Amino acid sequence: MNYDFSDKEFNLFVEIHTLMGTFAKENDLETKDAEKSEKNTRRALALLSRTPYLTLGIEKADNYNGLLTLMGGMETIAAASPSLFLSIETSTRIFGRILSAWGSASQKEKLLPALLNGQIIGAVGLSEDAMNVDNDPLMTTAVMDGDSAIISGHKQYVVNGPVADWLAVAGRLDGKNAIFLVEKGTQGLSIGGKAATLGYEGVAISNLMFENCAIASSQVIFPENDKTMLTTLKLWENQILIGASLGLMKRAFESAKVYAKKHKTGGKPIIAYQEVGFKLAQMLTLFQASQLFAYKVAWAADAEPKDIESLTLCAKVFCTEAAEQVAGDAMKILGGSGFLSGNPVEEAFRCAKYGQIAGTSTEISRVKIGDSALGLMK
Amino acid sequence: MDFAFTKEQLMFKKEIIRFAKKEIVPRIQEHDLKKQFDFESFKKLGEFGILGLHFPEEYGGSGADVITTVMAGEALGEAGVDGGLTLAYGAHTFLCADTIFSHGTEAQRKKYIPKLASGEWIGCMGLTEPNAGSDVASMTTTAEKKDGKYVLNGSKIFITNGPIADVAVIYAKTDPSQKHTGISAFIVEKGTPGFASGPNLIKMGVSTSQTSELFLNNCEIPAENMLGREGEGFNMSLQTVEWDRSALLAPFVGASTYMLNRCVEYASSREQFGRKIGQFQAIKQKIANIRIFGEAARNLVYRIAWCKNQGRPMNHLEAAVAKLFVGDWSLAPANDAVVLFGGYGYCHEYDMERIFRDSRLAPIGGGTSDIQKMIISKLM
Ligand SMILES: Cc1cc2nc3c(=O)[nH]c(=O)nc-3n(C[C@H](O)[C@H](O)[C@H](O)COP(=O)(O)OP(=O)(O)OC[C@H]3O[C@@H](n4cnc5c(N)ncnc54)[C@H](O)[C@@H]3O)c2cc1C
Ligand SMILES: Cc1cc2nc3c(=O)[nH]c(=O)nc-3n(C[C@H](O)[C@H](O)[C@H](O)COP(=O)(O)OP(=O)(O)OC[C@H]3O[C@@H](n4cnc5c(N)ncnc54)[C@H](O)[C@@H]3O)c2cc1C
Repeated sequence: MNYDFSDKEFNLFVEIHTLMGTFAKENDLETKDAEKSEKNTRRALALLSRTPYLTLGIEKADNYNGLLTLMGGMETIAAASPSLFLSIETSTRIFGRILSAWGSASQKEKLLPALLNGQIIGAVGLSEDAMNVDNDPLMTTAVMDGDSAIISGHKQYVVNGPVADWLAVAGRLDGKNAIFLVEKGTQGLSIGGKAATLGYEGVAISNLMFENCAIASSQVIFPENDKTMLTTLKLWENQILIGASLGLMKRAFESAKVYAKKHKTGGKPIIAYQEVGFKLAQMLTLFQASQLFAYKVAWAADAEPKDIESLTLCAKVFCTEAAEQVAGDAMKILGGSGFLSGNPVEEAFRCAKYGQIAGTSTEISRVKIGDSALGLMK
Repeated sequence: MDFAFTKEQLMFKKEIIRFAKKEIVPRIQEHDLKKQFDFESFKKLGEFGILGLHFPEEYGGSGADVITTVMAGEALGEAGVDGGLTLAYGAHTFLCADTIFSHGTEAQRKKYIPKLASGEWIGCMGLTEPNAGSDVASMTTTAEKKDGKYVLNGSKIFITNGPIADVAVIYAKTDPSQKHTGISAFIVEKGTPGFASGPNLIKMGVSTSQTSELFLNNCEIPAENMLGREGEGFNMSLQTVEWDRSALLAPFVGASTYMLNRCVEYASSREQFGRKIGQFQAIKQKIANIRIFGEAARNLVYRIAWCKNQGRPMNHLEAAVAKLFVGDWSLAPANDAVVLFGGYGYCHEYDMERIFRDSRLAPIGGGTSDIQKMIISKLM
């Protein structure tokens, strides 16, 4: 047992905190403009590629602790900018892990180095008409035509959709689950405009349409295990949303704490009032409980993966709900200034809801955790 | 970071669960109903080695590390041992015996620890007073030095094991003009003239533990019964806080696993509307909430244990976070468990109502949730 990060991990967190913190100060990362958000993501990826961060969870990095180090790093980046975080992680950790875990040698050779060097952006198309992919089979399908796979279907809510160079699209081929690697500009692929969203406004999210979209058969991935492809993709997405929640809590809690010590009423800093000080104590309790929960499931994913799906769902529910609570309370502590648009706390508050909706929704998560405890999980 | 328990720790945990299910659990309902202490179970805890687990072997202990010791508490909870017995164990081993061990002279250690570790003697600790609970420093019990002896006067309340204890660690002011720094700690034995306990207080939960007032009425004790030096008492009480936030919280974590297991069993057998109730999403949701609480709480509790095991000075903020979380976030899952069992959950036979009642001590005993929030907000 050991509850500390190593010095090396800690130094990495400081390095990316400095890099991304400075970057966040100098740029508008919550921009609604898709072109600007593309530029932001590319520049951030280039900056991060100078550190080992992008390789975590993808390649074996000496002296780092796999997903556990990654979770600490995710917290740091999400605290600097939630939007940038979501964009970077979808590209690196979902698109990237599809390649590293399931891709062929030539697929990896073609895309992985460029991805880890920050030269390309990836996106992942999974959701269709409902998030409940377990019950509803994927409707996006491909048929083989000679050496080509011809894809038809549509995807919604695709992070990085409008800005990605490559898209990994989940669908069916020959009665099996498959992932189609589609390059931007491929004929038959049309990408919708950037959607307007409540939070994560700096992320370019769109629909994808496929109409007789032909790709080479070498761009098709059949995952190792057909049955678990969707749950694995959701697992990776959930890990990211857990990391995002830590970052949101960190920025909301820190902002509220600083404000409560500085802002005075009745001649006292407001932290001296129990209504404020005790609220902060509850927030910190939720934050610390979430941190340990997140680190634990990140550790377990590598070290004790037997029960990882339901354990991750437990952390996902806990952390994403805690994030909304902490951000909401932080806003109250900031008073009127918290309600003004454009401060880190209201931003965190708006983003927090997403974590409960996306990935495996907290409702479906609870059902699955229950199923797993009851021995009913498929 | 590494969250793994060792193989030995995990095996030991299984052993304790097996032992407790066989030797202790069958008698719980009867004692809980009668609000009686189960001397036989307590003795068995001693024989099994749990009461003295972390003390060195030469004092009758097993020299276990802190994590293993905390795990023993979790295992008892997980086996279904009631909060009354685990509280009695906690007050005995950590609040009383460990204070003597950590601050006592060699003679004091030799005299008390082996008997406490075996369970031959029962220990208690008296800090709280009728008018001094959260505000410990306002205590009015005094210890006056006279002719090479100390004379104690005052009273204590809510003292776990008070009516049955052979040995008490009593906090009293040697300098009433001072606040925290005026407090000293003493060992007082049962039968000392002027020392008496009140009747068992009837409580909402943890019913098998016996709780009472202690009265000190010109109670003379030899000067060598002081622990450490004058004025060091408050710091000693703070040191037990580390155990309080790990070993005494661990049974609550274990109890949540017990609840989870029982709920799963029940949901898999009870049928309504032609289906097992476990097939309803509302039931799965309750089961999920219980599991989520337990997983979150466990990490916080073992963090305290691990830090203590490393020999680090106590992190008061982290300790308060663990206590606050277990205290305040355990209500909803305990409630879910009662409701999951429907009418049966409200009845004694099914254990859930007992766990619900027992768990309500968590936000009060050993420092209320408000006091934890006060500590956290001051330290942040
Ligand atoms: C901003 C944003 C970005 C996203 N990014 C991506 C992305 O990059 N890639 C991607 O593939 N997807 C992405 N998603 C999709 C996301 O994961 C969800 O699929 C989607 O938001 C919700 O789908 P829906 O509205 O159709 O929900 P539905 O499935 O229709 O659910 C509606 C409600 O019913 C509940 N519900 C549904 N079924 C059950 C059930 N069986 N039991 C209990 N409750 C149930 C749900 O919890 C929810 O409360 C994104 C979503 C958003 C909002
Ligand atoms: C079953 C049981 C076993 C116990 N065992 C022992 C034992 O073995 N030894 C021992 O010494 N003690 C023991 N205690 C006592 C326990 O530690 C105290 O009950 C606890 O510390 C609270 O003190 P109090 O009851 O005097 O409440 P008070 O301090 O009077 O508090 C009353 C209320 O006021 C709130 N409050 C107090 N101060 C503040 C503040 N500054 N800001 C905001 N809110 C505040 C509290 O949170 C609480 O809600 C036991 C108690 C119980 C119930």
